[in-house]
Amino acid sequence: PSSPQPPSSQAGQPPASPGQLSGQGHVIINPSLGDIPDRLMLKRHVPAAVDRAIGEIITPVVERSVTIACYTTYELVLKDFAGDPDESRLRKAAHLMVSSLAGSLSLVTAKDPLRISLTNQLRQMLQPQVSDAAMLDNIVSVLVNDNLDLGCTLIERAATDKAVRDIDKSLQAAYDERIKARQAGKPWVDPAAYHGAGSRFPGSLPEGLRPRPGGIQAHHLRVYEDFTRIPRTAPAVPPPGTPGAPPGAPDGAAAAAALLDR
Amino acid sequence: MAASTLGDAQQVESFVHQLINPATRENALLELSKKRENFPELAPYLWHSFGAIAALLQEIVAIYPLLSPPSLTAHASNRVCNALALLQCVASHNETRALFLQAHIPLFLYPFLQTMSKTRPFEYLRLTSLGVIGALVKVDDTDVINFLLSTEIIPLCLRTMEIGTELSKTVATFIVQKILLDDVGLNYICATAERFFAVGAVLGNMVVAQAQMVDQPSQRLLKHIIRCYLRLSDNPRAREALRSCLPELLRNTQFTACLKNDDTTRRWLAQLLMNVGFSDSAAALGAPDVVQPSPVMGA
Repeated sequence: PSSPQPPSSQAGQPPASPGQLSGQGHVIINPSLGDIPDRLMLKRHVPAAVDRAIGEIITPVVERSVTIACYTTYELVLKDFAGDPDESRLRKAAHLMVSSLAGSLSLVTAKDPLRISLTNQLRQMLQPQVSDAAMLDNIVSVLVNDNLDLGCTLIERAATDKAVRDIDKSLQAAYDERIKARQAGKPWVDPAAYHGAGSRFPGSLPEGLRPRPGGIQAHHLRVYEDFTRIPRTAPAVPPPGTPGAPPGAPDGAAAAAALLDR
Repeated sequence: MAASTLGDAQQVESFVHQLINPATRENALLELSKKRENFPELAPYLWHSFGAIAALLQEIVAIYPLLSPPSLTAHASNRVCNALALLQCVASHNETRALFLQAHIPLFLYPFLQTMSKTRPFEYLRLTSLGVIGALVKVDDTDVINFLLSTEIIPLCLRTMEIGTELSKTVATFIVQKILLDDVGLNYICATAERFFAVGAVLGNMVVAQAQMVDQPSQRLLKHIIRCYLRLSDNPRAREALRSCLPELLRNTQFTACLKNDDTTRRWLAQLLMNVGFSDSAAALGAPDVVQPSPVMGA
């Protein structure tokens, strides 16, 4: 019953069309630009540029991020919740994880291309009206800095929405099996999780690490809730009291080097 | 011995449990990455323990906002490198490798391989990420090669081979070598002229760069470069193309003198030169058992 099925991301709808996304009200027009916004009709141009820039990149970014996030989430939640009869906990954990992973992947993938695309769009729109090249550069750069995050947020939201829809489709069978077991008055158990095919694991793990029916507790669930606490932007200043790194290569880097010795 | 092994297992188990709590995670990452070499079952412990892999993924995606513009501190880099070292265990272990691939976890490291910053925190991040991929390819498994070829790993390796330090370049070249050694990988890279020349150009640039080093060329890097070329020469079209694009330096006895203590690499180079049709240069290397080109394979 829990044989892995590829998440059905290709069956999902395409991301919401960019036209619905930006909305006039959300763009930022920096007051430092003085009377330029009025002269250049920026209130009309900037939302259009944001929409077009998003439109240029959103489809592949969302597809890829959602597909990867769904594969990962599917495997990990089915493993972690193999002993949990409560489908609502499985669903909640899956949603928390898949939104975070799809959102993070889409942001890290989209940020640089979106900056380039938005710069090009604004430049094309404003070039005919601004003859001074340095001034054009300056206006475009202010607008890009102020509105890049809006574009990123819209792409991220498209990715998280689609990821939640897609993971529910992939996990539907797992939800149903739990409901069915409960209705039949049977204890829930996912046999695949206890007897890895031809593997010593998880059977030979120490008691405390082996998956157990009904063994999930509140402090376990917190690791999934922590997915909502991952910062989506870099801190403006490094956190106070950040300890200095020990000198030399981190231990992890030594692991890579060790590969080459045989 | 038995008592200390038991003690180890209990300690490891306890640290694995501590991974899911943000308050104890950083220390647990450090302790576990120190223990990984002496505790072969760490990988299944990590994989099957509730939330441990989810916690490691949180460590990875938490770094994404620091990639562009580049603002990764040494401390943040060390911490994520410890998490990556644990994933390298999972990638290495026979009983977790397939699960690790099935969950597509290697793809979460690709944003790290896209970075261009040459500062040490980024260099270590790329190196350690390549270590995870290197652990996957180290065992010869066609499933791994098929998985990697369905992703952007080749261009990402080529990028590191261009901008990385000597060690990163060597690990990236090692990955390309292992991909090429699989028939699927060789056919993939030789399937289009564009792919072949992309790989050939980067290998060639590395040879030239090694010749311009103030110090001795890196023998271990050259070894992997030469093995890549030799393997490419097993493909008939690539063999033809190498006649014109193999770096002349590889026929320059002054340059190849740096290999005089490495019989294996010298023999690989002699076989390569013989395959490509430079039999005089091959003979000059003095590797007696190379007398004729090796048969080509595939089409």
